[in-house]
Amino acid sequence: MRFIMPLINVLAFLLLAPLFEGLLRRLTARVQSRQGPPLVQPYYDLLKLLGKENLNSAGTWPFRLAPLLAFASILVVVAVIPFGFRAGALAGRMDGILVVYLLTLGGVAVLMGALAGRNTFGLIGASREMVTMIMIEPVLAMTIILGAVKLKTLTLVAAMPFASGAGYGVSTVLMLAVYLLALQAFAGRQPFDIAEAEIELLEGPMIEYSGPNLALFKLSAMLKRMFYAWLFVSAFLPFLRTGIYPLDMLLQLAAMAVVFAVIGLVGATNPRLRIDQAVRYYAVLIVWALVAIGLAVKGW
Amino acid sequence: MTQETLLQTLRAEFGAAVTGPDPAAPRRLLLDVERARLPEIARRLIALGARYQVGVGSDDRARGLGFGLIHLFAFDKSGFTTAIRTSAPAETPEFPSITPDIPVAGWTEREYRDLLGFRFPGHPKPKKLILADDWPDGIYPLRKEVPYNLVPPAAEDVAYQLDEAPPGTTMVPVGPFHSSLHEPAHFAVYVDGETIKGCDYRGFMTHRGIEKLCQTQVSYNEIPFVAERICGICGSVHATAYAQSVEEAAGLAVPRRAEFIRVLMLELERIHSHLLWLGVAGHLIGFDTVFMHAWRVREPVMWLSERITGNRKTYGMVVLGGVRRDISPETAEDIRSVLKKVEAEVLGLKAAILKDSLIHKRTKGVGHMPKAEAERWSLVGPVARARSIDIDARRDHPYAAYNELSFDVPTADSCDVWGTVLVRLLEVFESVKIMRQVLDKMPAGPILAAPQEALPAFRHGLSMVEAPRGESVHYVITGEENRPERWRVRAPTYTNLQGVPRMLLDNQFADFPIIVGSIDPCYSCTDRAVVVERGTGRERVWDRAELTTLSRAGGK
Repeated sequence: MRFIMPLINVLAFLLLAPLFEGLLRRLTARVQSRQGPPLVQPYYDLLKLLGKENLNSAGTWPFRLAPLLAFASILVVVAVIPFGFRAGALAGRMDGILVVYLLTLGGVAVLMGALAGRNTFGLIGASREMVTMIMIEPVLAMTIILGAVKLKTLTLVAAMPFASGAGYGVSTVLMLAVYLLALQAFAGRQPFDIAEAEIELLEGPMIEYSGPNLALFKLSAMLKRMFYAWLFVSAFLPFLRTGIYPLDMLLQLAAMAVVFAVIGLVGATNPRLRIDQAVRYYAVLIVWALVAIGLAVKGW
Repeated sequence: MTQETLLQTLRAEFGAAVTGPDPAAPRRLLLDVERARLPEIARRLIALGARYQVGVGSDDRARGLGFGLIHLFAFDKSGFTTAIRTSAPAETPEFPSITPDIPVAGWTEREYRDLLGFRFPGHPKPKKLILADDWPDGIYPLRKEVPYNLVPPAAEDVAYQLDEAPPGTTMVPVGPFHSSLHEPAHFAVYVDGETIKGCDYRGFMTHRGIEKLCQTQVSYNEIPFVAERICGICGSVHATAYAQSVEEAAGLAVPRRAEFIRVLMLELERIHSHLLWLGVAGHLIGFDTVFMHAWRVREPVMWLSERITGNRKTYGMVVLGGVRRDISPETAEDIRSVLKKVEAEVLGLKAAILKDSLIHKRTKGVGHMPKAEAERWSLVGPVARARSIDIDARRDHPYAAYNELSFDVPTADSCDVWGTVLVRLLEVFESVKIMRQVLDKMPAGPILAAPQEALPAFRHGLSMVEAPRGESVHYVITGEENRPERWRVRAPTYTNLQGVPRMLLDNQFADFPIIVGSIDPCYSCTDRAVVVERGTGRERVWDRAELTTLSRAGGK
């Protein structure tokens, strides 16, 4: 069983990520007084892109490699996480630092593609993406570090500190708040869809991509969004754990749908911020995340 | 300042260099000035408080008068306008440039450099403005001997030379096609990091030559319908402005009821345009929910327009001497009920926008341009009023029935995009107020003046209409062949766009779309779809109810 869990993870995420995306789009449409696309529209979109031509406008290998790298790195993350509060065969061999590393690698792949594409809009988007990464990854890292501090281990199980009975403390509640405030940035939605900024940057780093390459990037982004929803559910909602594996998975998925609903609602009711405004916002988040770690070290 | 005192001042200071006035309509002063002293006189007018509007160039060689150039100035506080006319011999069409003193005259002069072959010694940027990059040198399409349908052969490897990038900056090309521009235009934005340090503009890519067409091919009574197609949003403005300028030139009296109906259509158009713009502005700062709701609120206005005129847009209401359709008592009731609904919904929108702190963050201090600069660049409309320049053609130079209607002119002093948002929101309520007064005060009577045989030739007529995005100016010199000898159109964007590089300066690139969007460049929209079945070729038109059900939750 432990050996097929990574496979279950990957399949569940790959199959459901577009559905969550559809939920997001549908919800946004409802807020905007529109009917919105069918829930399964993102599957159609991906299929359509997969059937189209891959244009390599830059003609360089980093440009071709970037989408594969982004997709591969997020797939590994998905494979190792303890989805359904159950650690698979790979989880024991990996730790939280690796997850942060792999997520960053995905971001670096986006940068690489944008830089290799050499499009002015892509380059501006890449610089914004870089700033966002530098400012927002610390919050992710510190969420995992909080678990590590609480459980005195860096293994992935630590990413869900209360599941092992660590309980809510001041530090956890503070980190939960910080995580919620960073959620839109993790998800890359308004007010923090700054790197892709459709209006002025025309999708920024993605501008030169088409066909299957674009589909891979899009799917990676959906998987990443789903991972961040999972991390929230698993780290801060330990009471969802029943001990029955399939039921735990379903409960987590249901809770993730709620997280997506929050992302959708916040996204639909906010304009996009400028990168300088966003950086100031992120800086405050980092400070509070550090405070949470400090409190955890003190045992609060 | 009155027309008399202005005339005395100019005569005292410039003596024989200023002659006239030529007979013109009340509140219009038409003076002839000596060509060499044009810059001095223009400078003096500005110092006396005038606002530069636009220049009108003409080819008068057939009458032995060489080339003509009229610069238009408005004295908004005193409610009159002054035109200074000068001419140059046919062999040397050269006029001293007034652009160094009045920067917003830059486009007028570049335009006549392109279209009439004028030369403007002293112009700081004598580059192509209107003609295509591959248009051959030496053909000036607005000259009388050039046929309206001339198509010179296309040329390869000719490109507009953009301005040099300031040192330390890189160029971001926005356009010719870009999602934040809704029609082709090319801004070369020079950025240092993400800070905008300069901008060059190359536009007029869809120049249609409407002035030339109407001066050579169609007749007085057909032009309102062509004029309406100048703009997809403020068509009624152009049709009315054209009609009024011909009526003024020829001394045509318009029935009072028709003037009220014109006001009604202009204000209806303003409400639709302001809501459309508000939606687009939301979209430009990445806030699509504002976009969707503003357009939902706007929709009843479009259906109302269709009920009154038969069309959602491009109403076809205005003709010389009046309007084509009357307002029946039932329609008046329709209008009242739509106004009530729109007013309530816009109140809700306003409250939501005023409270949204992120909208404030994205618009306050953005596109900042102090009042003095805004005056220097002759900004018009909400963009000017957001910079505490209290001008509005409806109040300052009343036309149609506005002198009988009471309304406020909202202004703001924040000098930025936020001020523009505020002004345009508040103007919706003023428009509602005006439309209600129109329905109450409209007298009974005919809606069209009796037709006239022939209009007198070579009379001048000027009309200003406050379009939703600012003052539109039309200038007509009547002609002999049942069509204008010269018809000059100046839409508000023509002026405001020239001020955009100044507004962009030192802003972030992320704010580029909303700053350009704040002056409201235009685009048209078709909301109803015709579905053609492939194979059978059968057509089916979706009606309102079906489309609503398809597009909106609940189908309401």
